[in-house]
Amino acid sequence: MLKIITGTIVGLVLGALIALGVASQMAGSMMFQERVSPFTVEETVARIQQNILAAGNGWALFGLRYPARPVEAEGGNVLPVMLIEACSVKYSGPILKDDKVRFLSLLMPCKIAVYKKSDGKVYIGIMNAGLIGKLFGSMVGETMADVVRDQEKFLVMDPTKPAPPMVIPKVGEGGGGGAGGSAGGC
Amino acid sequence: MIDPVRPGYVYLYKRYERFWHWAQAALIIFMMITGFEIHGAYENFGFKRAVELHTLSAWTLLILWAFTIFWQFTTGEWRQYIPTFKKVGAMVHYYSIGIFTHAPHPFHKTTSSKHNPLQRLAYLALLSMVSPIIWGSGLLYLFFAYWKDFGLDKWLSLQGVALTHTAGAFMMLVFFIAHVYLTTTGHTPFAHIKTMITGWEEADEH
Amino acid sequence: MTLRQLLAAGMLCAAALVQTAVLAADIPSLGDKLPPHKSTADHSKFKELDKVFKTGPEVTKACLACHNDAAKQVQHTKHWTWEVIDPKTGQKLGKKNIINNFCTSTVSNEKDCMACHAGYGWEDKTFDFSKEESVDCLVCHDSTGTYRKLPGDAGHPIYVRKEFPAGSGKFVEPVDLQKVAQGVAMPTRTNCGTCHFFGAGGDGTKHGDLDSSLRNPPKFLDVHMDAKGLNFSCVNCHKTSQHQVAGSRYELAASRTGKPQPQGKVDDNPASCQSCHGDKPHKESLLHAERLNTHTDTLACQTCHIPEYSRGSVGTEKVWDWSTATKMGPDGKPVLKKDSIGRRAFDSKKGDFVWDSYLKPEYRWFNGKVAFTTRGDKIDPTKTVEINHPEGKPNEPGARIWPFKVHRGKQAYDPELKNLLVVHTAGEDHTALWHNFDWPKAITTGMETAGLPWSGKYDFVSTEMSWPIAHMVAPKGDAVPCAQCHQAEGRLAGIDGIWLPGVHKNELIDTVGWLAAALALIGTLIHGIVRLCVPCRKPRSKA
Repeated sequence: MLKIITGTIVGLVLGALIALGVASQMAGSMMFQERVSPFTVEETVARIQQNILAAGNGWALFGLRYPARPVEAEGGNVLPVMLIEACSVKYSGPILKDDKVRFLSLLMPCKIAVYKKSDGKVYIGIMNAGLIGKLFGSMVGETMADVVRDQEKFLVMDPTKPAPPMVIPKVGEGGGGGAGGSAGGC
Repeated sequence: MIDPVRPGYVYLYKRYERFWHWAQAALIIFMMITGFEIHGAYENFGFKRAVELHTLSAWTLLILWAFTIFWQFTTGEWRQYIPTFKKVGAMVHYYSIGIFTHAPHPFHKTTSSKHNPLQRLAYLALLSMVSPIIWGSGLLYLFFAYWKDFGLDKWLSLQGVALTHTAGAFMMLVFFIAHVYLTTTGHTPFAHIKTMITGWEEADEH
Repeated sequence: MTLRQLLAAGMLCAAALVQTAVLAADIPSLGDKLPPHKSTADHSKFKELDKVFKTGPEVTKACLACHNDAAKQVQHTKHWTWEVIDPKTGQKLGKKNIINNFCTSTVSNEKDCMACHAGYGWEDKTFDFSKEESVDCLVCHDSTGTYRKLPGDAGHPIYVRKEFPAGSGKFVEPVDLQKVAQGVAMPTRTNCGTCHFFGAGGDGTKHGDLDSSLRNPPKFLDVHMDAKGLNFSCVNCHKTSQHQVAGSRYELAASRTGKPQPQGKVDDNPASCQSCHGDKPHKESLLHAERLNTHTDTLACQTCHIPEYSRGSVGTEKVWDWSTATKMGPDGKPVLKKDSIGRRAFDSKKGDFVWDSYLKPEYRWFNGKVAFTTRGDKIDPTKTVEINHPEGKPNEPGARIWPFKVHRGKQAYDPELKNLLVVHTAGEDHTALWHNFDWPKAITTGMETAGLPWSGKYDFVSTEMSWPIAHMVAPKGDAVPCAQCHQAEGRLAGIDGIWLPGVHKNELIDTVGWLAAALALIGTLIHGIVRLCVPCRKPRSKA
C-alpha cells in the first residue's frame, strides 16, 4: 500500500516537473520567433525598413540600434546585431491612454532584431506580440493582433527587387551604442 | 559470522571502502555524462566545459585510486578480487533460474569473502581489462601534447586512442547498467544498496 | 638592523640627495625642447627639400642626394618589380604576370593599375626599371596624409587639379610636393593602407582582413594595431631591411615553430605570429594550456584568433561576376547600382558584385606555397578554376589549417585555347572595355599587349582565389570557442587528416556500444519484470 502511495506521489511529482520543463522550453519559443534571412544583415534591415515605411497604418521608423557597438567599444567581439525600431500611433495611442495597461509602453517601440550567428547565417528575431496581447484584455489583444498582421508584412522580402538603401538615423541622437529616432511616429 | 555488536548483521564494508565506492560511483557516472558529451552524443555543459569537468574528474579519480590501492594492500582487501571458479555454475544457475523461484542464494557474504564468484570475475575483468583500456587511452589522450617528447607520435594516432577510449566507455556503461541492476537482487530490492551505505549486511539464515 | 645602523643609513641617503640636487643645479639648461619626431633628421630643415617640386621624380632625385642607395634597394623589391619568380617551378608570378579574379590583369591597364606602383611612369612594357628617379619614395614615407596617386596617371601623383572620378563633379587638388617631401617619416598603417587597404580598386575589396578601418582600429578589431593600445604599425611585424618587407603572400611562413625570437635577432620571416609568441603560446589555464598548445601543430594561430574577418561596416567583396559587364540600363546608358550600405552591387563596366562583413573564413591545409594559374596556363572550364591553390597536405610537417577569404567570380576565358584572357579594361582609347563596352575589342588589345594568341572566342568561367587571413586578430578572449569546431557541421567540417573529438566517430564502435548498452538495459529490465511477476513457488524464508 505504502509503495503504491509513494509510487503515485513520485509519479505525480515527476510528471509535473516534466510538464514544467516542457512548458518553460515552449514558453521561450512561443514568446519569440526566429527565422533565417537570405540577405546580408544590412540588406535585411533595409528591406524590412522599406516594408515598414510602405505598410501604412501610421507606421514609421523610430530608430536603428546597434547593441554590438558598446561591446566593441569595450574591446570585445560580437557578431553584428541591429535592432529596427518601428512605431505606429494608431496602435500605441489607445494603449498609452489606458491607465490599466500603460505599463505596456515597456514594449514600445516595436522591435525587430536582425543578427548573424556563428553558423554564418543571418536571422530575424521577432516578439510574439499577439501572445503577449492576449494576456492583457480584449483591447490590447485586438491591437496586438493588428500589429502582428502588419509585422508579418514587414518581413515579406522579394529577392527579385533590388536592395533598397538602409535608412541610417542621425547618429548622436540616441545614447549607449544606439542611434535614436529619425522620423519617429510616436 | 555474526557480528557480536549487532546480532543478525555482518559489518561487511568499512568506512573507507564505502566512501571509496560511492565517490568512485559518482565520479564514473559524472565522467560518463561528460564523456559522452565530448563524444558528441548530446549537449549539456557545452564542449569546453565538458572537457574541463571530465579532466578534473579524471584527476580526482586518480587521486582516489592512489589512496584506494594503498588501502587495499594495507588491509589485505585486495584478496577479495582473486578469482575463483568455485560455485560459478551455481551463481549462473541462480541468476538465470533460482532467482525467479526464490531459491536461496548459493553464496553467503562474509567479511573475508564479500563478493560472490561471479562478482569476483566481473570485478577482475573490470580491473584488468576495462580499467586499463580506459585509463591507458584516457591518459594518452590527456597527454597528447607530450607524445612528441617521448616519440609516441610515431606509434600512436589520436584516432586510435580516441576510439579505444570510446570502446572502454561503452564497456563501462554496460557494466554500470548490469551492476546497478544486480544491486536490486538482494532479498529486498534495496538491501544491497543499504549495505553499501551503512556497511551492515543482514545475515541470511538458511 | 639596529637603530644606530638605521640612523646612519638614513643620514647617508640624505647626504646623497643633497649632493644630487647640487649637481643638477650645475647642469646648464637646454634652450630647445626635445624635437617631436623620432628621427634624428628634421627633413623640413634641409635646404635640398626647401624648394618647389614640379614632379615626383624631382623629389626622388632630392632624396637620393643623401639616401644614395635607397632607389637601388627599392628596385630589388616586389613593390618595384611587381614580379616574383617561383623558386620551385620558375613560373613568373607577381602582379606584373598573374591574372586574378578581381580586375584580372595589369597588362594593357598599367595607366590605372600603377596608381599603386611604388614608382612613376609605368605606362606599358617600355617602362625603364633601372631609372632611379622613377622610384616613388613618397607613397610610403609621406606623413602629411596629402599625397595621392590616381588611376590613369601611371603612378604619378596629382600635379594639376582635376575632376575625379571623371564626370562626378568632384575635384581633387594637386599635391604640394614640397610639403610632402619635407614631412617624410617611417611608414605608418595609413601609408601601407594607401594601396593594401584598397586592393582591387576599393576599400576592403580584395583582402577582407585589410581595409581602411585599420588606419585607426579599435581593440576589438585588431589587438596589435589597437590605436589606443599597442598601436603596432605594419612594419612592426613586417620588419623591413634594405626596403625588403618581410611576410609576403608569395613566401608565407605557414608554420614557424620554436621559441619566440627576441626583437632584433635575425629571423628568416619575422612577420609570423610565432616570431614573437613562439609555437607554444598558451599559458593561462592549467587545464587548457597544453591542450591548446597541441593545437598549434595542426592549426595556424589565425585559425582560432581571427574568428571572422571584415569585422566592420567596410566589408569585403565576396563575388565579382564579369559575365554581366557591358549590360546597360533601359536607356542604353551604363548603370551603377549600390547595395544597402552603398557598396558597389552592379556596374555596367564591371559586372555584378556581392559584398558582406563579419565573414567566417573558409579553412584549408596550407604549407605557405601557392600554385598559380597564370597567363597562358591551360584550364578546365567545366570546373571552378582555382587561380591560386594553397598547397599543403594534411599533417605534412610544414602545413597547418589556415583561414582563407575565398573570392569567387566569373571572368573571361578562351573556350578554344582554354586559357584565361587578358582584357584591356582601363583607358580612354576606343578598345578599352570601360570606355567602349566591347568585349572582343578589349580582349584583342589585352591579348596582343600580353603577346598571347586568342582564338577570337570568349566566354566566362567560374574562378576562385584564396587569400590567407592574417590581420584583424581579435583579443584572446574572442578566439573561436572550442565547440565551433568540435561539433558536427562545425567550422572544420570537410577538412581531412584531423581527428576532432565530438565530431569524428567510428560507426562500428558506436553501433556496437549503444547496442550493447541497450541490450544490457533491456535484459536487466526483462530479468527484473520476470522476477517480480513469476508467482512464488517457494515462499521466501526469512529470519
